[in-house]
Amino acid sequence: MLRWRSAFPTTLCSTLILGACPLPSTAQSNQGAQRFVEYCAACHGADARGGDKGPSLLSPVSVAASDDDLIRVIHDGTSQGMPPFAQIGNTNIAAVIHYLRVLQGTAAGSTGSESSIPGNPAAGQDLFFGKARCFTCHMMQGQGGFIAGGLTNYGRNRTPQAVLHAILSPDDPLIHSSRVVNVTTSAGQRITGVLRNEDAFGIDVQTEDGRFHMLPMSDVSDIQHTDHSLMPSDYATRLTSKQLNDIVSFLIVSARDSNKSTRQGN
Amino acid sequence: MTGKLSGVSNQRVQHRPAQSAREHLLFSCLLALLLPACVHAQTGTTKPVEPHGPSHQDQKLGEIQVQQTDLLQKTPAANWVSYNGDYSGKRFSSLREITPENASHVTAQWVFHPHTVSPLEVTPLVVAGVMFVTSANDAYALDARTGKVLWHHTYPISSGLVDDAAQHHNRGVGILGTSIYMETDNAHLLCLDARSGSLIWDVPYANGNRNYGATSAPLVVKDEILVGTSGGDDGVRGFLAAFDAKTGKEKWRFWTIPGPGERGHESWPSDLYLHGGGTTWMPGTYDPELNTLYWGTGNPAPDYDGSVRPGDDLYTSCLLALDPDTGRLKWYFQFSPHDLYDYDAVQTPVVVDANFKGIEHKMIVTANRNGFLYILDRTNGRFLFAKQFAIEQNWAKGIDPNGRPISAGLTPDENGVSVCPANGGATNWYSSSFDPLTHRFYFRSYEACAVFRAKTESFEEGHAFYSTGAEVVPQTGHSYINAFDLDNLDFSWRDPLIGSYKGWGGVMSTETGLIAYGDDALNFVIADGRTGKPLWHFNVGQLVHASPMSYAIDGKQYFAIAAGSDVFSFALP
Repeated sequence: MLRWRSAFPTTLCSTLILGACPLPSTAQSNQGAQRFVEYCAACHGADARGGDKGPSLLSPVSVAASDDDLIRVIHDGTSQGMPPFAQIGNTNIAAVIHYLRVLQGTAAGSTGSESSIPGNPAAGQDLFFGKARCFTCHMMQGQGGFIAGGLTNYGRNRTPQAVLHAILSPDDPLIHSSRVVNVTTSAGQRITGVLRNEDAFGIDVQTEDGRFHMLPMSDVSDIQHTDHSLMPSDYATRLTSKQLNDIVSFLIVSARDSNKSTRQGN
Repeated sequence: MTGKLSGVSNQRVQHRPAQSAREHLLFSCLLALLLPACVHAQTGTTKPVEPHGPSHQDQKLGEIQVQQTDLLQKTPAANWVSYNGDYSGKRFSSLREITPENASHVTAQWVFHPHTVSPLEVTPLVVAGVMFVTSANDAYALDARTGKVLWHHTYPISSGLVDDAAQHHNRGVGILGTSIYMETDNAHLLCLDARSGSLIWDVPYANGNRNYGATSAPLVVKDEILVGTSGGDDGVRGFLAAFDAKTGKEKWRFWTIPGPGERGHESWPSDLYLHGGGTTWMPGTYDPELNTLYWGTGNPAPDYDGSVRPGDDLYTSCLLALDPDTGRLKWYFQFSPHDLYDYDAVQTPVVVDANFKGIEHKMIVTANRNGFLYILDRTNGRFLFAKQFAIEQNWAKGIDPNGRPISAGLTPDENGVSVCPANGGATNWYSSSFDPLTHRFYFRSYEACAVFRAKTESFEEGHAFYSTGAEVVPQTGHSYINAFDLDNLDFSWRDPLIGSYKGWGGVMSTETGLIAYGDDALNFVIADGRTGKPLWHFNVGQLVHASPMSYAIDGKQYFAIAAGSDVFSFALP
């Protein structure tokens, strides 16, 4: 089976499906995505929503920061403990900022307005819980599986282009904690699952039944890291352009509605 | 190990097993037809209940599934499935690996730094080697052997809150089936999938007054989730509410401040009942055999100006006995009627079955913030015994035969009046512990006095509702760890804690006679419960502002404690 991204360049696919939407900086965005995963995601999370060591970069303060401010922070680090990244070079810094703006939903060309939603959210919902079978692994507003990330708030602050890209090229970039690994234990047991954590001393793998296999390296004889997550990479051939746009629209519109319903009250 | 592959031939070699794994996993996902995780939670209720035996022996490491039998366990062993470990609230572990003989060899295993808020007030839960902790509104699943993150659910902290909730404290999760439950700072109840951290539902449960917040850990009883709020110093109306574990639908709500026409409403003129406090900001306890919840309520509001709330101010500073199925009040016991000194009664009401003056009794034992330790008959709320443990105490002349304090008449006014215990109480929310083998009740106490001032003020949303303030008298302030012997109704020992900090660390005990607590000098301590003598300590470098727990993986016993902005785990080498 051919993987989608080896058949068509992502830029072409995005342009085809979203119609006349110009994406002059997609190459820069892709480079930024890779650099972001490489340098930033370990602390700030692959989606920039914050991680164990670094704050969310989708906060109002980060969104409001100018590009010059961000360049300075990335270049010099902060007194709160973020190390300087001057060594990655100005081109990479610019690419990271460009990608961050996409994640923040503030990149040039990205809008959150109703008119920019490319498809029919209701039809997308039917596909999500039906033919496309997204729900088997992803939870959406309380319905669905657990082996992949919950998507209830996924579409918040994401552009249709970014969501589509994630569906068509789920492993670009490949998030470390989504990588499928094959582990052989010292006792000869073979475990295939999703890598949740790994260091030089141990590995945590979650199998399809939800069980976490938490193994010290002394109990492991072999680890094979694949280059992909569990997400199928052939949605471009399984679904039509219209269907893909419908799912993208469902993810974005429902996250917006979820935003309204969960943050109200006191 | 391979990273991103560049060579085409290499890529093919790597892809074959990978693709088949992907297909296998997807196929299994489809087979499972993955209903919402909270529906799975219900399957546990159909299994036979065996509260006495060690439950879930066939549970595999890393397999999260909490059944009613696990929640009904009388004493925690490898798993710690609720805030206090079990429904009784005695915070006593049956693990036996660490003993008075080997405790000196205990060493640090790992530190987890969630990076969100300080100090952490969480008690971790552990199921099948997976630990669940909260920090502000964030939840984490950790490999309990290494402290490494398995998943992390983020939820933004709220702005515009007041008082305790504005500090985003959170004391942890409840668990049932494959779901965990937590409160957020702005009083939402979240249901998350325990295997992924994915949000299943989010129910805001305290509306109409933005001074409501939440800091507690939910209690899971049968198929319902019990939650309360903070804000008792800020003019909210307290309540305890039960939500369906599966759907998040509200089942019942008991208001701790009576509304118009209800008994006790006469203390709350005009609309003051809407601002009377009596919040339920700590988890309660539960007796499955009597089918009764025991839940403490906080101080009345306004805190120091009692002139506007005549009478006893029901049901503030009370212990409530409630029917978990309906929320009906079975009985109540009020420790501090018409409280004027911020003496919340939310300290854990520990369910104890023991001999009292020659007769087996079903009791509640609790050390109250007002400076007295109480024993009640939990079948009917009858007062059995009180003992003053605060060395300096002047607000009451004593306790009458019905358990009602005899007031010394110290009323806060504009000039101020000196009262002991201080507004922080002679003890507080940090855990107490009961050892059913030695019949010792362990708890932390604090000696201090404060000058209380009062001035009539109006309630205002967005502001606290103390109606002026309290100031701790300089040169007071000493902490003790106490061991109260239920057999002879007196203290076995009382040890002053050495150190320059005011600690907020709870106490736990274990079947080998150990106790563990955070002291007043930034140490986590394991001591001999018979004598109080410290056997081991570790400088965690931060004040312990939480209560400890113990768990085991493959027979290896661990102690865990939140301190400052970190969670620590300890075990034998």
